Amino acid sequence: MESVLEIKNLNKSFGSNHVLRNFSLTLYKGENIVVLGRSGSGKSVMIKCAVGLMKYDSGSIKVLGQEIKDLNAVELDALRVKMGFVFQSSALYDSMTVGENLEFPLRRNRPDLRKSEMDDIIKETLDNVGLYYAINLLPSELSGGMKKRVGLARALVLKPEIVFYDEPTTGLDPFTSSEISKLMLEMQNKYNTSSITISHDMYCARITGNRLVALIDGTNYAEGTFEELQNSEDEKIKTFFTHGLGKRK
Amino acid sequence: MVGGSLFIKLVKQLLPLKWKKQLEETGDIGRFTIRFFREFWRRPYEFREVVRQCFLLGYKSFPLVGITTFIIGLVLTIQSRPTLERFGAEAWLPAMVGISIIREIGPVLTALICAGKIGSSIGAELGSMKVTEQLDAMEVSGTNPFKYIVVTRIIATTFMLPVLVVTGDAIALYGSYLGVNIGDTVSFKLFYQQVFESLEYADALPAFVKSFFFGFAIGLVGCYKGYHSQKGTEGVGRSANSAVVVSSLLIFIIDLIAVQIADFLGIT
Repeated sequence: MESVLEIKNLNKSFGSNHVLRNFSLTLYKGENIVVLGRSGSGKSVMIKCAVGLMKYDSGSIKVLGQEIKDLNAVELDALRVKMGFVFQSSALYDSMTVGENLEFPLRRNRPDLRKSEMDDIIKETLDNVGLYYAINLLPSELSGGMKKRVGLARALVLKPEIVFYDEPTTGLDPFTSSEISKLMLEMQNKYNTSSITISHDMYCARITGNRLVALIDGTNYAEGTFEELQNSEDEKIKTFFTHGLGKRK
Repeated sequence: MVGGSLFIKLVKQLLPLKWKKQLEETGDIGRFTIRFFREFWRRPYEFREVVRQCFLLGYKSFPLVGITTFIIGLVLTIQSRPTLERFGAEAWLPAMVGISIIREIGPVLTALICAGKIGSSIGAELGSMKVTEQLDAMEVSGTNPFKYIVVTRIIATTFMLPVLVVTGDAIALYGSYLGVNIGDTVSFKLFYQQVFESLEYADALPAFVKSFFFGFAIGLVGCYKGYHSQKGTEGVGRSANSAVVVSSLLIFIIDLIAVQIADFLGIT
């Protein structure tokens, strides 16, 4: 299988706090990996290193065959167009409307498109997340769930090959969180993306992940399907499943 | 080289923590300034955003600058009249007020108002963008936030402040004209004739040139404080506050340096 992201022996420290220790992970084309781990275990740091938002101390991260640390700013920007990132806080530009939030990355990265073509793409993307009616609203006028949907739409508007989700269901009520998880799965299939999702939400992990990775003590402690990890006898793995295993429909 | 690093180590050990942080911040601002000049020349040039920022930061500050400078022109004239009258020199009122406004009061007052209005708004805006990960979101969508957010704002403040200063000076002089006419009757033409006859290029030029530096300092400090905002919403407030304090202080320091340079060059 063709790999789209390869992380090998990744190390990252903040002062004396060694967050990632020889962490390795391979994401294959069309695959959706969910990374589980306790708060502060380095999950978000790992994906921020993968998109070049953070520098890592040592190791290797290859995205679509390109080594992140060897790229200059222009090459990195070009590669980032093929990656989408859904932030935990949605990170919508609060001075722009929903439509403008989607138009911004398009205008910056697809200067070849005419305004009408951009409008069509924005309409289609917002339709996909069920929010076309909110195109003229400001982020301050949106609910938490709507913000997550717009964040997802913005990540997808450039039709990326890889999408990183940083705790996409955190801070949402169980019903909205289920909706977002289902929407993620639907979009992964529709846009044919590969993805890495950081989550504590076991329901989200179960329905969106082909493979789960447990990030414990800075390493890739265990990986497998949801069922494989759920049936694991390892005490550290079991703790993930003792709380919050979703039974939502 | 070895001696240099030993010296730095020694200084690090001997200095109190507060001073160390201050020195580190000064170094960071230096790096931030160098990065600004490096990014300034790089494509894309973001003309559209620069124009938008000129409108938001410059044009929208115009009412506040206008009202304040008008009042200062008026008050300065009313308060100077009794002193000049005592010496029988009230005829010098337009010239004295004109020189005061053009040389010093206009640029410094406008810069201080802008430090409060523009500096705090840039500090708070960037701080809020930083803590809500909007700057990161911009970066991962292939846009350099330093170039798009920081460089454009610094360019806008650098070029809009002189415009505001010139406009503010004109409004302050009009306020002064009204002030003169409270206790006397002087025609509009005569008032401005007296003002301009007393003015020389040496009065206007250094004041105009230093206003570029005032604008640069306001934009730079506001952006630096916001861009390095930390600790959530509390940090945003702190960024806005320190942007105003530091840029106001810098305005006086630049003013002092500008006066010394003008004096050294004989432009007085």
